Amino acid sequence: MIIFDHVSKVYPNGTVGLDDVSLRIEDGEFVAIIGRSGAGKSTLLRAVNRMHQITSGSLTVNGTDVTGLSGKPLRKFRRGIGMVFQSFNLVTRTSVIKNVLSACVPDMPFWRVLLGAFRKEDKIRALESLDKVGILDKAYMRADQLSGGQQQRVALARTLTQNPHIILADEPVAALDPVTAKQVMEDFVHINQELGISILLNIHHVELALEYADRIIGIRAGKIVYDGPSKQVDQAVLDTIYGEDIASEAAV
Amino acid sequence: MNEKIQKAYASAPKTWLWQLLAAFCVACLLAWSGSAVRVSNPTGNGLEVAGNILSGIFHPSAKLLFTLGTDGVPYLLLETFCIAFLGTIVGAVISLPLSFLSASNLVPKAVALVGRVLIAAIRTIPAFVYGLMFIRVTGPGPFAGLLTMSLCSIGMVSKMFIESIEDLDKRILESLDAAGCTTFQKIRYGILPQLTADFTSTIIYRFDMNLRDATVLGLVGAGGIGAPLIFAMSSYRWNEVGAILLGLIVLVLIIEWISAKIRVKLARG
Amino acid sequence: MSLYDRIFRPRRYRLSDGTVVEEKRSRAPLVILILVVLTAVSVRITGFNFSVLVKKGSKFFDILKAMFPPNTAYLGKIWQPLLDTIKMSFLGSFIGAVLAIPFAIAAASNIVTNRVVVFLVRLFLSLVRTLPTLVCALIATYIFGLGTMAGTCAIAVFTFAYVGKQLFEIIETVDMGPYEAMEALGATKLRAFVTAVFPQVLPTYLSVSLFCLEGNVRYASILGYVGAGGLGLIMNEKIGWREYDSLGMILIVLFVTVMIIEAVSHALRKRLT
Repeated sequence: MIIFDHVSKVYPNGTVGLDDVSLRIEDGEFVAIIGRSGAGKSTLLRAVNRMHQITSGSLTVNGTDVTGLSGKPLRKFRRGIGMVFQSFNLVTRTSVIKNVLSACVPDMPFWRVLLGAFRKEDKIRALESLDKVGILDKAYMRADQLSGGQQQRVALARTLTQNPHIILADEPVAALDPVTAKQVMEDFVHINQELGISILLNIHHVELALEYADRIIGIRAGKIVYDGPSKQVDQAVLDTIYGEDIASEAAV
Repeated sequence: MNEKIQKAYASAPKTWLWQLLAAFCVACLLAWSGSAVRVSNPTGNGLEVAGNILSGIFHPSAKLLFTLGTDGVPYLLLETFCIAFLGTIVGAVISLPLSFLSASNLVPKAVALVGRVLIAAIRTIPAFVYGLMFIRVTGPGPFAGLLTMSLCSIGMVSKMFIESIEDLDKRILESLDAAGCTTFQKIRYGILPQLTADFTSTIIYRFDMNLRDATVLGLVGAGGIGAPLIFAMSSYRWNEVGAILLGLIVLVLIIEWISAKIRVKLARG
Repeated sequence: MSLYDRIFRPRRYRLSDGTVVEEKRSRAPLVILILVVLTAVSVRITGFNFSVLVKKGSKFFDILKAMFPPNTAYLGKIWQPLLDTIKMSFLGSFIGAVLAIPFAIAAASNIVTNRVVVFLVRLFLSLVRTLPTLVCALIATYIFGLGTMAGTCAIAVFTFAYVGKQLFEIIETVDMGPYEAMEALGATKLRAFVTAVFPQVLPTYLSVSLFCLEGNVRYASILGYVGAGGLGLIMNEKIGWREYDSLGMILIVLFVTVMIIEAVSHALRKRLT
């Protein structure tokens, strides 16, 4: 459960990232955050695992107050939250399995990290994660030999290996072609429904958001302007989120 | 556990075997090399010497540092600068034909190979041997030094020239051909613009290196700041060593800064 | 507008549609002027004299001629110093390259956010780089005594400065995405660096170190001249006794060794990238 309570974020240069945001996301929800670029989608997402520091208000994740976290407790907290990025953020010149195994790095003795000597049970876990996203056969290939969609699946497998209860996805399909984007979105649905992991993603393809997410959060200039089931999103809602002219374009 | 997973686990390529082998080889080489290191200390007190050197560098001889005569640091630095400068230019001029003759995309493979072996041979002879050879021609002094520098520059400069030449974009020549250019025009407008930036960058980089390496010339009396430095060191006048080193460090840092600026400008156009 | 543009005003062209295009004056005259002045000064100071070169140039080949035919009988006495030179360069390169790692990390502005630390470490690397290797070797002979230890030390210092500079530049061009991902999943900075940045820089790092090793074998032969062991020691001796045919043999052996090491290292570097 994620609770935002009057959260604001002002960047050092004066830009307002979030403006008095209050929200509640229950366990097991599939939430998509939509809005124009620069509206604060990414800031909202990254506040959850404290990749961005909020300036005021309070943010609680599963009973832990995120604002006060730093050092070891912060790292322990982040272990429970997976994150997937627009640019996949894989080490492209090493093998797929090594990339997935890097999720185990925080729990390993340092000499094992240095030598890259992973334990058998970790390897099995990594292979199982790869199997869940359907690319077990690619385990020993170099990551840069995979297509974009497959690379994003590797990133997903890496996240699953952490055993997270929440997955944050920052524009996960923006770098993919439409067909692959749909496949990756289906992966998210599958993970959400079968593993019961909450998914919070920001996305600028409105139609993908409406098709796959249960709940939509619309954000504009750092403020939440819509929060409700995706079925109730209509043209009027999109107009408030995007401004009229752009919304009609985006909805096509 | 799932059978599919088991199979995938078992099929892992054994890269660690290779890594282990490589690590073993390096360890063996290291152990073998380690046998060469014998500490034989005739003066008995290395730390004291190190302390003297440090204190000398921090208390440089002001007299030497600010004398404007031919034995003061400023003049020696100027001389070193001139040796390195002219040496680099002469070296670059010699390297130019040599590298065109050794570029495998311009001349037959056999010719290129001969050129490369020649360049490698020129590189092998150490600077002090060249210095001795040139002293027979010019007598001791900076003239011999600059000739030595130029021969020493040839190896690296032509190696990098060859790389630039082999990276040439030949499609431009095609388009110039299509526009009806003569061979001379093709070289002037198709090849030179591509090479000048790279070549200048190489030459400036080598100049930078020559300035550092110019101390070697002092060993054989071929001019520059090396000889006074080595004399001062062998007679334990550490504050003179300090003064000379300080001057050299400042000069090299300034030149490095300028050359880095110019090279960045060349690279970005 | 720079000073140069203010003195030599840009040329203005009016196109047929009325737009005015400014073309800055070429810098070439200024560059040529500087080069001519520097060359003139250098010629004066170094005593460059073309006629001497033409008249007595043939004397350059005196020693070269005396080297041939090389004294093959001397071959047996070359092996020991040759092996010393190789050992010295290998050990020195290894120590220098390993020592360079922590300094390169501390000098990389994308890993260390403290600007003061980055500046100080870079200044240190620059200062070490300005120290001529020969001077380093000389100082080392005072501290460790004559012999290969001093040579190893000088080579380690040189390699340290060279690899250190190259490595921090490589680290700065690395893709920081995986590093961010590692931090997001709860790894410390150190662990994130080891898992996300290290694999990216490792091939280039090894390649740079091998390249340095190639050059060091050549360089190690000079160091012997100041008593730091290896081939330079016997070269100095042979020059002193004017046994140029033995010197020729040493140079041929050095040439072949350097070629072999370059070939091996070139092949290794090709596999790395």
